[in-house]
Amino acid sequence: MLNVIKNAVRVSALRCIHSTAPQATEKFDHKRIPADDEGVQGEKIVDLDSVLKLKQNIFPTLESDSLLFGGVPYKDLPICNIRVTHNNTVFTVTDSAGLVKLTRSCGMEGFKNTKKGTNIAAQTTAISIATRALDKGFKTVRVRVRGLGPGRLSAVKGLQMGGLDIVSITDNTYVSWNPPRPRKARRL
Amino acid sequence: MHLTIKLLANRHPSFIARTVFVKNNDVDDACRLVNRILGKEGILEQYRLTRYYEKPFQTRRRVNHEKCKAIYNEDMERKIQFVLRKNRHEPFPGCH
Repeated sequence: MLNVIKNAVRVSALRCIHSTAPQATEKFDHKRIPADDEGVQGEKIVDLDSVLKLKQNIFPTLESDSLLFGGVPYKDLPICNIRVTHNNTVFTVTDSAGLVKLTRSCGMEGFKNTKKGTNIAAQTTAISIATRALDKGFKTVRVRVRGLGPGRLSAVKGLQMGGLDIVSITDNTYVSWNPPRPRKARRL
Repeated sequence: MHLTIKLLANRHPSFIARTVFVKNNDVDDACRLVNRILGKEGILEQYRLTRYYEKPFQTRRRVNHEKCKAIYNEDMERKIQFVLRKNRHEPFPGCH
């Protein structure tokens, strides 16, 4: 009888001891920390040097202007400019001098309002302009991308899916380190 | 010669700067490489920071936050390296 009571006391005493730390009563205020930007795909990968060592001839050099792609020197290849924004994606195909031959945007493709800024819209527009470009006789192009947005990667991919041969990808995003004062911040 | 003129005329000549050739029709890879380079050079960060005006108090707060984060990350990295170190003189310290 005494033993039973003793055991019960011991068990109840043991119950009081917590093996884990008590949980915080106050929840952490996540609003104070600025949210991480979702970024562009592949941006956050840090290990760059090993990749660059593996691959050769991926960057233009002195001779790259006269490199032949499908019998045409690199500098004379037509250009496909892609303007990517949060709300739209605009494609223009120009000749090597910069004369515009074709223009197509997600809005022209039938996407309206916020749907214009999606990656699916960018991809379908890219495929449609690729077929048009092929009709006009542009087969091998160099791509120049400007701006950040959801359609950035899928636009270039869509051009390839449409049947164009992409020789090179250039970024032409305008970035200034001493810009004029930008517009005031959005209130969220 | 052509390149020299190009470089003299423009500090960021198109199709020379920020350009990657596509190898083996692997557009995805080339895109990612461009993005990675832009990210590492801080170009994308600068682009995002200059979309909207950042008030001085926000700049101060951001910089302070970055400093704190860097210190924390450095110490945490050291701690992780300490815990994960191999060939320890005493394999399980304090566990006799």
